[in-house]
Amino acid sequence: MKLPRKKLTASVPAFAMGDIGFLLLIFFVILARAQDDSHIQWQPAKLADIKMAAAPLASVAIDSGYKTYLDGKKISPDELSAALTKVLVGAPSGQRNVFLKVHKEAQASHFEPVIAAISQAGGDLVHILEPEEISPKR
Amino acid sequence: MKLKRGKMLIDPPASASSDIAFILIIFFLVCAAVQPETGLSQVLPKTEEEKEQQEQSKNIEVSITPTSIVLDGSPLQLPEFTQRLNAALQKKTRETDRVVVVKSAPNTPYPIWIRVSQVIEQAGGILTLELESKRTITVE
Repeated sequence: MKLPRKKLTASVPAFAMGDIGFLLLIFFVILARAQDDSHIQWQPAKLADIKMAAAPLASVAIDSGYKTYLDGKKISPDELSAALTKVLVGAPSGQRNVFLKVHKEAQASHFEPVIAAISQAGGDLVHILEPEEISPKR
Repeated sequence: MKLKRGKMLIDPPASASSDIAFILIIFFLVCAAVQPETGLSQVLPKTEEEKEQQEQSKNIEVSITPTSIVLDGSPLQLPEFTQRLNAALQKKTRETDRVVVVKSAPNTPYPIWIRVSQVIEQAGGILTLELESKRTITVE
């Protein structure tokens, strides 16, 4: 004699779909921020008349210890050009933004070789700065 | 005669409050982390070797030190430098004549360098760095 099997049905509650979608969206937004350099200690210089910067392909930083980083990883200025060329390969002209975050106490001997390396790699340089507050005239 | 309205009480499910709080925390964390950045953009053509000395001498030359800005041999402060540079660049019509060669002392602080660089760009000059290793890069 054959016993009939009970059919098991598993249904996902439809009201949870919004929450699941929202959490997945946040998860992928965090993953997309692969160029995380938030651990780097630096303070931006201040300048008036600066604009919002478009999204970069790479981020180069010089920290308070005057060490150079590419996308959060330490790198020597001599190796920077070759590494940046790999990152920028295939990117069309005008969309090769490279953020340069220089600690405000850095000197020309620290940042000029880095600018030269970005130039050699063909990057569109964007100096990341803090907007200067202009005090009202009395 | 006034009729009393029946009060409708709706309790949100208490079990969902921790989920709501967690999602709100993540939302504000992501918002705080993805703040837009502001900056000064410069288009950098690839690094070029230094051209002949004769050609270099035609261009406007700027030397930056921690205490002063030297424009074609005369030491100036930033407001005066801005005026003199604007006047000098107004006379130049060809793009090749608008090249401004910048040489910085090794101890030049970044805030001074970036201010001078902004002044040159706003005056319509083409910033060119002269590095000690005899390399020249052009900044539009």
